[in-house]
Amino acid sequence: MTIAEIVAQAAAPESFASIGLSADECLKCNVCTTVCPVARVTDLFPGPKYVGPQSQRFRLGSELAPGSGVLSVVQSPDRSVDYCSGCGFCSTACPADVKIAEMNNRARAALRAGHRPRLRDWLLGQTDLTGSLGVLAAPLANWSLHNRFVRALIDLVVRIDRRAPLPRFSGRTLRSRLGGYRRSRWSADAPPADRTVVYFHGCAANYYEPHVGQAAIDVLERNGFRVIVPPQVCCGLPLISNGLYGQARGRARSNLAVLADYARAGYQIVGTSTSCTHTLKAEYREMLDIDDEDARLVSEATWDICEFLLDLHEQGRLDTHFGELDRTLPYHAPCQLRSHGIGLPALDLFELVPGLRAVDMDHDCCGIAGTYGLKSEKYDIAMAVGEPLFEQIRSSGEDQVACDSETCRWQIAAATGTRLRHPVEFLAEAYEAYES
Amino acid sequence: MVRAEVAVVGAGLAGLTAAIRLAESGARVQVLATGHAATHWAPGGIDVGAVPGAPTSHAAVDELARLPGHPYAFLAAELPAALDWLRAALAAEGLDLVGDLGDPLRAIPTSIGATRPAAILPDGMAAALAPWAPDEILVVCGLAGFRDFWPEAIAEGLRRPATWRGQQPPARIESISIELPGLAGRHNLSSLDLARLFDDPAWRETAFDAISRALDVRSPGRAGGAGSVRGRLALPAVLGLHDHPAVLAAARERLPLAPFEVALVPPSIPGLRLFAALRAILRRHGGRLQVGEAVHGTIGPGGRVSELRAPAAARELVVSAGAVILATGGIAGGGLIADGPGLLREAVLGLPVDGPPAEHWLLNDPFDPAGHPLETAGLRTDSRLRPVAPGAPDRPLAENVRIAGSLLAGQRYLREHCGDGVALASAAVAARELCR
Repeated sequence: MTIAEIVAQAAAPESFASIGLSADECLKCNVCTTVCPVARVTDLFPGPKYVGPQSQRFRLGSELAPGSGVLSVVQSPDRSVDYCSGCGFCSTACPADVKIAEMNNRARAALRAGHRPRLRDWLLGQTDLTGSLGVLAAPLANWSLHNRFVRALIDLVVRIDRRAPLPRFSGRTLRSRLGGYRRSRWSADAPPADRTVVYFHGCAANYYEPHVGQAAIDVLERNGFRVIVPPQVCCGLPLISNGLYGQARGRARSNLAVLADYARAGYQIVGTSTSCTHTLKAEYREMLDIDDEDARLVSEATWDICEFLLDLHEQGRLDTHFGELDRTLPYHAPCQLRSHGIGLPALDLFELVPGLRAVDMDHDCCGIAGTYGLKSEKYDIAMAVGEPLFEQIRSSGEDQVACDSETCRWQIAAATGTRLRHPVEFLAEAYEAYES
Repeated sequence: MVRAEVAVVGAGLAGLTAAIRLAESGARVQVLATGHAATHWAPGGIDVGAVPGAPTSHAAVDELARLPGHPYAFLAAELPAALDWLRAALAAEGLDLVGDLGDPLRAIPTSIGATRPAAILPDGMAAALAPWAPDEILVVCGLAGFRDFWPEAIAEGLRRPATWRGQQPPARIESISIELPGLAGRHNLSSLDLARLFDDPAWRETAFDAISRALDVRSPGRAGGAGSVRGRLALPAVLGLHDHPAVLAAARERLPLAPFEVALVPPSIPGLRLFAALRAILRRHGGRLQVGEAVHGTIGPGGRVSELRAPAAARELVVSAGAVILATGGIAGGGLIADGPGLLREAVLGLPVDGPPAEHWLLNDPFDPAGHPLETAGLRTDSRLRPVAPGAPDRPLAENVRIAGSLLAGQRYLREHCGDGVALASAAVAARELCR
């Protein structure tokens, strides 16, 4: 392939929309670095520009000349991109629309490609496996995962930090608590799509926080919806962020096979984990290159629970008979929620609850970024990233905090000693308060 | 969906100050921006106007207001009050602005060893504004490992008499490079790294000690005791990000020469301080800011824009708005998009652009002091800042839309140094218009 051909190919407008080649739009202005929470606290990460668009020249070979074998340089110049937490702030702040976070995520995966994954990274990706085993032996699992000696051992062998916030397994999964009719894949008497929603609980609500799933189902049912909870597996995000794209594609295929049928029939898919819903919406297509009709249909049908309820309110269909919740409520908007590009719907919903005074903590990231802050070499970084948020919450004197993402909730709860709850739990509580 | 009484597109000086004024008056304001640029790229001063031969900003503004089609023709009268408003707003956030419209324009050293004309600067840069006494020296102080500020190159440029635009230069210009504590061996420091280090009270004490000691050794004549040499110290603009007033106070107290900050290549620390202050004010008044995606909209029946749309992870985000302010900037800011010679379009609503015909795009000498015809390209408005088609000044194209900042046609904001003044004055008018 000649240089002229490469240039002609690269200059095709559609190729600049691709993640890797968006580096060509980079002006090197470093605005991304100003918003990077990790570069803010550690020298180990030189910032999104350096590891992203600036290093991209070393990785572009396969994109510029696919299949030609020419320009086969595809590796990052060093391993510092591994310290990217994937929060995505760089991509939102970029004035030139460079896909920095997405570029870095792929570069991280490329670093690991061809190597056997580290036990730790593999393990963190197997949320369904660890979840089902943990629930099966919940008392033992919870005891050991919160025992100092066991954790020190895990830290040494697996490199999951002994201080990192691990959640407690529930005694029963959410799925087992639900009646069989809800779990069935299709109900013969399924009501029309505008009265029925599909609930994607993700791993957190199923194995660790069934009360969050129950609150979401209660709130949806309160608003007249029939809630179907079809068979589902982990959305795949923990695999994506640990570089295990192949396995993640498997999870994506399993979920799409089930969810696409609902989407095709006009059903909306609602989730309580803001990172799972973002994965269904965007990452199957952007990160895993699954860009078929199923992925598109599921993406367009997927809603974060607060986004869905606020939209219901806009249509005049939300039951706004909320009882009074007299409290000041610190609220942290997770990075993954911001990647949805839907604003902060939880804050708008909180305004509908009498007495509830929600205060946006306005902090970039709590540090955990999914599984990032669990890792021994990154725990201190994650804690430093979140510290200004923790301090704000501690000094607020409030004992409850709202946040849409489970891993953020576990991180903030461990760091502040406060009770972290999903926004939908407060809405469920406000409905209960109205009844009493 | 996001609901706002006024949607402001653009988060530069024009967009943020318009949004703050509206939020202050009780309006529900949503600011939407593709990314950060205007504040993060700008040197941090307030440029209201400088043209050859004009001794003050006031005289420059008067001269610009007489140019046919210049925004100052109808905005100049707004400028003094708009500037006072900004001064008061920033002072309340701890950021003082020094200098006024009637003060002489001075030659201010830049980080490439040139000077630029300015009269209104942040407190941290203000020591550069005073005329140089015939016995006064200037020491340009670099920080080892920081590659955006080369003291010897800067001093070399400043030693050329022509650099000083006919004004009295310092008696002597020296350069010095200093190893700061804990940074030995670092060779990739960014302005952000340094600014955050200066935020740390203990670190900055030792840093200022190191600078003082180096100056004592280097400055002949200082043996006679402090005060025997009159002079000033040019430092890169990294004196603190969040705690700048305290860093500046410490610098003035600890350093033997009067320090001033010199603006750097992006990301601009003084610009980040300005952005942080304006953002804090906006949020305090209940205004919201969402950054990340380019918005678009259409002018509906009755010449009104009722909603804007932004790409999101799944479905477009709809922002329903009673009125819209476009403060998206010119070609550099992304408010105008050039698709090729003669092909300029306005990015959000597709409003007609007043720009040069295709045959004038590529003919000019790039160093022609008269500038390039594209510099004045932008939107034409009526005196109420409603957009009009070029040549049809009496027929507003959209009743509830106002245009502010560098998107306005007729200004050459880089050449005339008038961008901040136009931004402030037009934001004041746009906000007042929509408060009605």
